[in-house]
Amino acid sequence: MTLLSQHTAPEQTRTVATAGPSAPPVLAVRDVRISDRVTEREIVRGVSFELTPGKAVGIVGESGSGKTLTCRAALGILPPHFEVTGGSVEIDGTDIATLTPPQWAALRGSTISAVFQDPASYLNPSIRVGAQIAEVVRVKKGLKRREARHRAVELLRAVRLSDPELVYGQYTYELSGGMLQRVLIAAAIAADPRALIADEATTALDVTVQAEILDLLAELRERSGLALVVVSHDLAVVAHLCDEVLVMRQGEVVEHGPTRAVLYDPQHEYTRLLIAEHDQYGLEKFLTPKEAS
Amino acid sequence: MVRRVLSLTSGRIAVVILAVIALLAILGPWLAPQDPLATSDNTLAAASGAHWLGTDYLGRDVFSRLLDGSRVSVLGSLEVALTALAVGVVPGILSVYLGRVFEWLTLRLADTLVALPFLLFAVAVIALLGNGLTQAMLVTGALVSPLFYRVSRAATLAVARSPYVEAALISGASTGWVVRRHVWVKVLPPIAVALAQTIGVGFVIVSSLTFLGIGVQPPAPTWGGLLASDLGYLSHQPWAPVPPALLIMVTVWASNLLADAIRDVSGEAGRTLADNRTVRANRLGKGRPVPAGGAR
Amino acid sequence: MTTTPPGTDTSGHTVAPEPALEVTGLDVHYGRGRRRHHALRGVSLSVAPGETVGVIGETGSGKSTLARAALGLVRASAGSVTVGGEDVTAYGNRRWRALRRRGVVQYVFQDPLRSLDPDLTIEDSLIEPLLIQGTGRKEAAPLARSFLDRVRLSEDLLGRLPGELSGGQRQRVAVARALITEPRLVILDEPVSALDSANRVQVLEILKELGAAGVALVLISHDLGSVAGTADRIAVLHRGELVETGAARDVINEPRHAYTRLLVGSAPTLRTAPASRAEREALRALLDA
Repeated sequence: MTLLSQHTAPEQTRTVATAGPSAPPVLAVRDVRISDRVTEREIVRGVSFELTPGKAVGIVGESGSGKTLTCRAALGILPPHFEVTGGSVEIDGTDIATLTPPQWAALRGSTISAVFQDPASYLNPSIRVGAQIAEVVRVKKGLKRREARHRAVELLRAVRLSDPELVYGQYTYELSGGMLQRVLIAAAIAADPRALIADEATTALDVTVQAEILDLLAELRERSGLALVVVSHDLAVVAHLCDEVLVMRQGEVVEHGPTRAVLYDPQHEYTRLLIAEHDQYGLEKFLTPKEAS
Repeated sequence: MVRRVLSLTSGRIAVVILAVIALLAILGPWLAPQDPLATSDNTLAAASGAHWLGTDYLGRDVFSRLLDGSRVSVLGSLEVALTALAVGVVPGILSVYLGRVFEWLTLRLADTLVALPFLLFAVAVIALLGNGLTQAMLVTGALVSPLFYRVSRAATLAVARSPYVEAALISGASTGWVVRRHVWVKVLPPIAVALAQTIGVGFVIVSSLTFLGIGVQPPAPTWGGLLASDLGYLSHQPWAPVPPALLIMVTVWASNLLADAIRDVSGEAGRTLADNRTVRANRLGKGRPVPAGGAR
Repeated sequence: MTTTPPGTDTSGHTVAPEPALEVTGLDVHYGRGRRRHHALRGVSLSVAPGETVGVIGETGSGKSTLARAALGLVRASAGSVTVGGEDVTAYGNRRWRALRRRGVVQYVFQDPLRSLDPDLTIEDSLIEPLLIQGTGRKEAAPLARSFLDRVRLSEDLLGRLPGELSGGQRQRVAVARALITEPRLVILDEPVSALDSANRVQVLEILKELGAAGVALVLISHDLGSVAGTADRIAVLHRGELVETGAARDVINEPRHAYTRLLVGSAPTLRTAPASRAEREALRALLDA
């Protein structure tokens, strides 16, 4: 993949994945609690995890369990009437509660970045999608217009859009949901963030495209130490990508540990249920006996 | 819909004002204390016990003329709105369903009507059909109808390709069923808004037409006609144009207020805003717990 | 590619029941002249009563076109479509409407947000197919209740509007609505793609019960897991052509066609990693050759 080798500005020497567990976390979530100000209910009750460079943490659980809210809290973009009522989030050693808007602007995109579901609402419908990616590159990486364009096309190619030059010049309404999702992923990694939050980022994608995106993310982890938070309802995606898993239910983390331990030797009843459902309504239903033989 | 409109203060105010105006229109001629056409020597009199709003240049009682004229004025604007509704909405909805030829024809017709100079057209038609309120209002209604055509067509288009309409078609629904069951409800709120606006516009048009002497023969009073004649004697009675002008203004304002209220309660945001009350009431009534939503 | 579903015999000697859906040599194309684009090419597929056939394939593979052709929403340019033993290939609008009104075939959409009219209560949406058939409201009401129960939703929802329900609840209402006319064939287009895993499992379980009750299901999805977990047989569509059909276990465990291998290989599972990029590239090369 040419994307990763080129255009990595020389001044950006990074602690790569090889940096041991002693490397300081890019993102540290400590006992975060989130409440709904209107109903005064606590929606998220104490979530903690640390993301060192190159590490991937998966969050699984039913919808409404607080996965997305936790991610949004880490990015400082909670929906209107929600607020963090306890714990802290640190990005690169800085407590986000102390960040000013300009500081946030500097962090987002280049240090921490995110892809959510519903890609259309994160892109401007009246600007060509390629220009939106190029803008990220120009602002965050200080590239000239032409270089930015070149880089944007490369990014579009990296997310396996079949005709990146064409897609560059298209508007959101001309692209399918899966294509938009990929455009959004390209935009999210455009400024070489150190941490990426992927909230159901590959759910809407075709399975072969998903495989390419998963490969791309794995490659970014390996080469430039990208740290990942993966929220997915697909346990297999989490199992494939993550070192560590959090299982959330009704705002609480019911199980947290290394992926292997959690998914192969689940302790909590709810985790067992999730795995059983996956076994019954997933490819495992047929694959398991074959693998065993 | 009606209940939602009435749940808004602005909606209630608008409905009350319009109800009073409607009463005036129905009962006005009977309420008039004197013959609105009877002239006297007492011309351009100031307000007094005998003539509450004074008399005009022919010595006619202004208050009586105002009351008597309300029926024609209100009826006129209603005629405009209803004609526009009838001429605009049906083709608007059907343009989505009756095939390309019909669609093309109605679209071009709507464009043409918009392009016609209104007063010239009105005068020409009246010259053809004779001067009368109904003729004038039908013309005006036809000229305003493209608004209804476009509004209903846009609303229908938005619904016509939705999955729930397709679901109904897959269950064997006919076009008529789809229109009655799914389209009509979606088209209604924007049409109600357009209708309220048109009633306001209709008032201005009736008033300006009668001001010019089109639509109503001179001795018969209308609000616009009163305003016109009062303006001619401004130097003698500077306050005289105020009552008819005020009536016109208040009615137009109330219509617009109603239109705003309707718009506020229809549409996604308004719907939840107004529904929350009833939903909450229902939940309280049945003691059902409020599900936690919106965590996403 | 012809397939022989269990219980039927192409020679016609068996007394097997009529297939709920039989598509033979189906060609569908959109556009004309140079812009003519084949959505389906010579697709043959048969679905027996009570059988669940999963149709998998990626965006643009023709999955939805196949569904729409079976519902008469798209016209075939060649081949034939038979629904419940009735050859519907040449049906015009009127005869299709009459067939649909009988409620023999029903359809469930992908997007539960938009497949229910936001202005109709759940009850009104549920009984709409019955009302179209001419059933009275009074007779339809108890059915609404029993079918809501069948998809494990509470009767309390009857008076609500779709906006007050969660995505999972709405999709179950959509399924109940499709079932209320007691169809013999239900076509589901990505019914669980928009749902989280708990709701997904619930809907898939309902589908399984339906299959057991003798309703033929065509489950269209890009999610191999959902299809593998529910379908008896799987048909794989690639660029408008049916490249492989077989028992679900065989298609997943021993895919024959390169495209099926690519699809199955691309999906990670709890215990196996997906095929490497090199392996996938090799399969792609094979496909393009």
